[in-house]
Order: sequence, then structure tokens, then C-alpha cells
Amino acid sequence: MTIEQLHFEYKAEREVYKKGHVGIVASGDLEIMVEPSPNKGAQIYIRTHTDGFEVIWRAILDRFMESYPIAAIIRINDCGATPGVVNLRLAQATEVMEL
Amino acid sequence: MSMHHYLLNSYIELSARERAQAMLDEGTFRELLDPYQRIESPHLLVQGIVPQSDDGVVVARGMIDGHSAVVASVDGRFQGGGIGEVSGAKIAGALELALRDNRSGIPTRAVLLLETGGVRLQEGNYGLLAIAEIQAAIVALREYQPVVCVFAGMIGCFGGMSIAAGLCSAIIMTRQGRLQLNGPEVIEQEAGILELDTRDRRLIWSMSGGEQRYQTGLADHLIDDDATRIRDAVNSVYRMQEKTIPRSSQVERYLNRLSSLDAGERMTPDAWRQQCKRPNETKKPTRELNLVSEAAISSRGRLFFNGLTEEEERIPTGTTTVLVADAWLEQERVRYITVVPDPVNRFERARNGEVGLDEGWEIAASVRQAIAEDQDGEKRAIVAIVDVPGQAYGYREELIGIHLACAAAVDAYATARLAGHPVVALIVGQAISGAFLAHGLQANRILALDDSGVAVQVMSKQSVARVTHRSIEELDVAAGKVAATAYDIRSFATLGALYSLLKDVRAHSPESRDFKIVRSALMDAITVARESTHDLSCRLQSVQARASRSLSILVRRKMAEQWN
Repeated sequence: MTIEQLHFEYKAEREVYKKGHVGIVASGDLEIMVEPSPNKGAQIYIRTHTDGFEVIWRAILDRFMESYPIAAIIRINDCGATPGVVNLRLAQATEVMEL
Repeated sequence: MSMHHYLLNSYIELSARERAQAMLDEGTFRELLDPYQRIESPHLLVQGIVPQSDDGVVVARGMIDGHSAVVASVDGRFQGGGIGEVSGAKIAGALELALRDNRSGIPTRAVLLLETGGVRLQEGNYGLLAIAEIQAAIVALREYQPVVCVFAGMIGCFGGMSIAAGLCSAIIMTRQGRLQLNGPEVIEQEAGILELDTRDRRLIWSMSGGEQRYQTGLADHLIDDDATRIRDAVNSVYRMQEKTIPRSSQVERYLNRLSSLDAGERMTPDAWRQQCKRPNETKKPTRELNLVSEAAISSRGRLFFNGLTEEEERIPTGTTTVLVADAWLEQERVRYITVVPDPVNRFERARNGEVGLDEGWEIAASVRQAIAEDQDGEKRAIVAIVDVPGQAYGYREELIGIHLACAAAVDAYATARLAGHPVVALIVGQAISGAFLAHGLQANRILALDDSGVAVQVMSKQSVARVTHRSIEELDVAAGKVAATAYDIRSFATLGALYSLLKDVRAHSPESRDFKIVRSALMDAITVARESTHDLSCRLQSVQARASRSLSILVRRKMAEQWN
């Protein structure tokens, strides 16, 4: 078993003031942590059990960043979550952060 | 109560963080080493496992019923709540700081919310050492404040952490919770499907579920799955005025219970429940001990015990498998204790030198006898000669409560250490898992022979493979990356918990030359133990530990910084 570590960057200007932590590293789920970034832009770091899904991650994140262009550091620890679960957890994170 | 209300308050459905919040007075929750600090396990990525940012344990400060408190809550969904280096150090650190508070006059309460399979097998001996430190802290803290633990499900409380639970002042369970030392899969692996069939879920729950544990007196409160009620139960423990004697210290009571038991009979959970409800016999019936030829059951433990105690008369115990004698080592009076095989031992699963029900309680009895005799005088040294292939894996053992038998031994050794007895463990053979926790890991100093037959680990390779869904080959590869998952004593030595590794001792057939080396090492360890603190802190201060257990140290340091 290997871990795939992915890194994405987005241009994003919207400032965030709250941190957000949701989810869990358990089969079919993932943990997401969002913190305000000191720089403009979004930095997204993903660690995942399931390799070969970079394209899908990019598609999910493109859509998310379109709706929430937040200047934030987002860390994702993934344990094989489906895109549907990823989207739910991202939505939950936006609620926790009151975006 | 309406269904709607019930579901709103479910404790089981809460995350570890929410559970900790639910136990603390409203608005007082403050997390230490929160996820954003990302103090995660460094041992998982190299084994192809994604870490979690809190390593599966939430430690929070706050108030319980208006009093200073700390809660450690294990997340059973991450790696089955397994205790690794970081998660273990978070729990140990929280308890140690609560102890520090209490010793300096701040009565801080400590509550453990456990959902754990025990040691996280991917971190092996890191978890084992951390659990020994958790246990040491519980025994010390209990003197000042009740230590309360809760397990509600859906995981339960297993392995070394079930022994830790056995040490607690009070146990709160729901019907969905389980308390058991060896998981069913491990028993089936080690003892065969006739001993325990893991497909029989009904039997497993009726053996070790909350209801059974409560009815047989191994849990104090049986509460519905409701967060408010569980919090009320926790508060009620602290509101009790009189100090209670922890279960694991009630040696007489449980030895009585054991001695009236027919070890050959496979009792149903219900029959055992009925038996527990009968009034305890006040006098211990004497059991005939089977006398077998010692030559036929030679073991390293026995060889070293005989060599070190020489002609000294053995102190009788209630079993043939626990040998005890007092002997002089220069000017030191030493009580030697070892566990040995007996092919006709009354408990079938404890015939190869395992720590079983009789062994755990008898070790406790002989340690406590020394404590009592030395109460007002010089505290004699206690040497645990360690050659234990494991705890006894069996149905009867779990039904009756082997976690508590092991806890009794842990409790006794830790109590002796805290009372000022130098406690030294001498590993001459295997030192495996719960058996080593019970017999050896509470020592002030640990010595081991540098020999290929000396091994320290959590579980047999076959069982680890089964539980972690990996092949033996994959395990060997992992052991190359994380020394704590290896079995040999030299790998264990890199973790810094050994005081010394004795070279040139013929472990198979020791002679006077070998005993001389061992005696001099024991003397040195006893002298050092007499001069040092009564806790286990020396294990983290060694040169090796500063490198290999740097996270165990970092977690404690950061937690201390964030404590107040």
C-alpha cells in the first residue's frame, strides 16, 4: 500500500476568519481541516489511500473553489471517500466556518 | 421518553470530540493539542496508512460539576481506537498532569472515554509502553481522585486498555459496550474455533457486553445510550463521599471467587451470572495442587528463579504456576516472582506459562504480601522474572474477567513501586502483550538478556496478520521500517525502556557464572531504583528514548504548556 500525496493551488481572495475541522479518517470517509491562509490564494494538501484519482480530486476542488474562493490552507486526510462523501464533508466544513 | 428525545441524546453517535464536550460543564471545553497542531503518528505513513490529525484521541480541559477536570476521549472509528505512540502519550500525559495537579493541591478530575481495540498493532511496542504508562498514572492518580472510565460502543474496550479500565475507580458502560482483554478473533486464532467461534455474536455479547459485566460486578454503572445520563453517572462517582477500594486491589475477594470455580466446566454466561450473585464464601477452600515433575516442565523462568533463589524456601501460592521466594542479594532482601508452565494446570489455556486468572491474582497476592509485611520497615526489592508467552486466551478467561486478573497484578506492582519498593523486571524469555503488562512493565527498571530467545511484542505474528489484514511477509517489511513492531529484544532496546541489556548470559542453560552476571545487574538496578523517583519517567529520559520516543516526549511537553 502506498499513500498518494497531492497538492493543489488556487487563486482565491476571499478572506476567512474561522477554522474548520470535520470528518474522520475511517473507511469511506475523510478528514478536512481548513485554516485561514496568511497569503492570498488557496493551498490544498491531500493524502489518500486511493491513488490514481488526481483528476477527480481536481474536478471536485475546481467546483468547490468556484463557489468558495477562500484564501485558506485546506488539508485533507482521505480514507477512500467517494466524490459524494467528499462534497458532503466540504459542505459541512463551509457550515462550520460560517462561510 | 419520546424516541425523538432519545436519539437527540445518543452518546454512541457522538464523535470523540462531542463526547468529551458532553462530559464537561457547558462552555468549559478547551482542547489540548487540537487537530490544527497536527501532532499525528509518524509511524503510519511509512506503512501506507493515512494518519489523522489528532491521532484519534481528543484531550480536553474543562470543568466537571464545577471542578477542574481533564477528559481523554478515544475515537474508535480511527484505526479501531488503537493506542499508538502519540494517542497513548496524549492519554498518559493528561493523566500525569492531572496527578501533578492533585499532588500540588489542585484536585483535578480525570475521565477516560474509551473505544479501543488496545495497542495499535502498526505501532506495536510504542503502544505497549504507552499503555504501561497510562496504567501507572491511573494507579497513582486514583489515590487522590476517582479515575472514571466510560465505554459505550460501538468498539468497546480491549487489550491493554481493558487492563487499564480494570484499574479505574469506576466503570460506566452501556449495553452496547464491551469489556474484554483478548478480542474474539485473537482467541479463535490462538486457541481454535472450539474455544470461541467468532461468528457467534450473541455468545460474545453475552460474555463481555455491558449487561453481563454489570451483573457480574465488573462494571459499576449500566446506563442507557444517553449522553446526559452518562454525564450524570460520571458526576455521581465524584459526589460519593466515601473512598472505595478499586476492584483490582480486592485480591482476597476475587481469589475467593476464583477458588470456588470449577475450571474444567464451560459455564454459560448466565450460569456465571447466577454464581456471582450468590454470597461470597468467606473462607477460601483449599485446592489440591497437582504436583508434577519439575524436570518435565523446564522453562527459562523456572531456571532463573531456581538459580537466583538457590536453596531458599518457596513461599506457597495458590497455584503451581506462580513461584515466589525471598532471597538475599548482598544486603538486599529480594522477593522473586515468576510464572511457569504446568501441563496439568487447572485452566487449560494457561498451561504454557501464560498469565491467566489464577496467575494474575496470585502475583497480586504475593506482591501485596510483601508490601504489607514491609509497611513499617525497609521495603524489600521485588524482582519479576519474565518469561511469559502471553496472557491466557480463552472463553472462560474472558467470561470471568482476565482483564481484571491482569489489572490486579499491574495494580500490585505499581502500588509496590509507589510505596518505595524497588521493582525490577528481568526478561529471560518472552515478554508478550497483556502478560508483560501484568508481570514486568510496572517495574522501576527493566533488564533483559541479550539473546535471540528473548522477545517483546503485543501479539503473535499470526494474530497480528489476521487482525490487520496483512500477510506475515508484509509484517516483516513493516518491522524493518518501524522497530517497535519487531519481536527481537534489540529492537525493543532502541525504544529506551530497558535499563540494561545483559550480554554473555547463557539463557538456555544458565550456570553459576551466568547467575553472577545477572545478580550484579540486579543489584545495580535495585540500587538505582532506590535512589530514583517512584514513577516510570526514567523510560523517557534514556538516550535511546530521546531519539526513538521523541513524540512521546513532545506530546507531554506541549500538553504541559497548554494545560492551564
